Amino acid sequence: MAALPTMRPLGCLRSLIRPQELMQSQITRRFISTAYSKRPERVPLPPNLPEQFLSQLPTRLQPQNGPKPVKVYPAPPSVRKVCKNPVEKVVELQMAAHDPKGERKALFDYRRNPRSVKPGDILRVTFKNGDPFNGVALSIKLRGIDTSVLLRNELTRVGVEMSVKVFSPNVQSVEIVQRAERKVRRARLYYMRSRKHDRRSVENLVASYMRQKRAFLGGSRRQN
Amino acid sequence: MIQLKTLLNCIDNSGASVVECVNVLKKKRPATIGDRIVVVVQKQRAAGSEGSGTALANKVRRGDIRHAVVVRVKKELQRPDGSLVRFGDNACVLINKAGDPIGTRMNGVVGQELRGKQWSKILSLAPVHV
Repeated sequence: MAALPTMRPLGCLRSLIRPQELMQSQITRRFISTAYSKRPERVPLPPNLPEQFLSQLPTRLQPQNGPKPVKVYPAPPSVRKVCKNPVEKVVELQMAAHDPKGERKALFDYRRNPRSVKPGDILRVTFKNGDPFNGVALSIKLRGIDTSVLLRNELTRVGVEMSVKVFSPNVQSVEIVQRAERKVRRARLYYMRSRKHDRRSVENLVASYMRQKRAFLGGSRRQN
Repeated sequence: MIQLKTLLNCIDNSGASVVECVNVLKKKRPATIGDRIVVVVQKQRAAGSEGSGTALANKVRRGDIRHAVVVRVKKELQRPDGSLVRFGDNACVLINKAGDPIGTRMNGVVGQELRGKQWSKILSLAPVHV
């Protein structure tokens, strides 16, 4: 490197210019010297290395420290194969628990059983807690264990509708008080909510039915 | 589904026949059976139509603001056992601030949900409950 002008800064302007030239040339030269060179390839271990030399290898290359085989577990058994339709299974179990004899199911299966409850029939449902509910069956929803029947009645001149789950353990008994007068042509009799078609109160019919039933049973009260 | 401006039938002998809901108390949703609401009396029963006597003057007048308990709703209500109940109209019973009914008699069916909500006094006045 040329001496920097410390004593007389304006005395040697040329020396200020020259080192730049020199550096330029140095940079270009460095570029040439740092050309990319490929990394030397790793020399593989000689095959059939005798046992006594293994201890001289670095620990990571010793055969007992090599990569271990990955353990592959077998897939668990498919649940789909074990139980094809679990919902159906649950419904079956529930039906067996709540309706072991299948009577209730036959009573409401109006698509198959001709003697079953049909829309338009007047029903009397007695609950476990004692109070009954009477009404015209407007609709029967066949949904397995969730089967329900919609009853409509009029109490103290107010329409009351109640949808009862047929297989509920709260339902003690279901009686058919009166069949539909003529065959109804609908599965859902929602038109009976309108004033024109409303059956109004069915309490009188049910009361007379209960009287007849009591007379028929000969004094033995409440046989459900 | 009783909310602001809903008109309800009043089924006691307090003197009101139609009342309008102006507020639902203690909840931010529409009121249902057993809920306490604030109402304005919109229509009075004709005085002297029920029974006869000196003390049958209407206890409430048109325009009075009172508290009431909903006893019937049109919107179906699901019971814990899965059954649904629906009534033909919306109805209520007027009560005072302490929660006692203003009327002495009730005519009409009421919902059984009143039992679980400390309205057994109203339930005992009702002729039928479902």
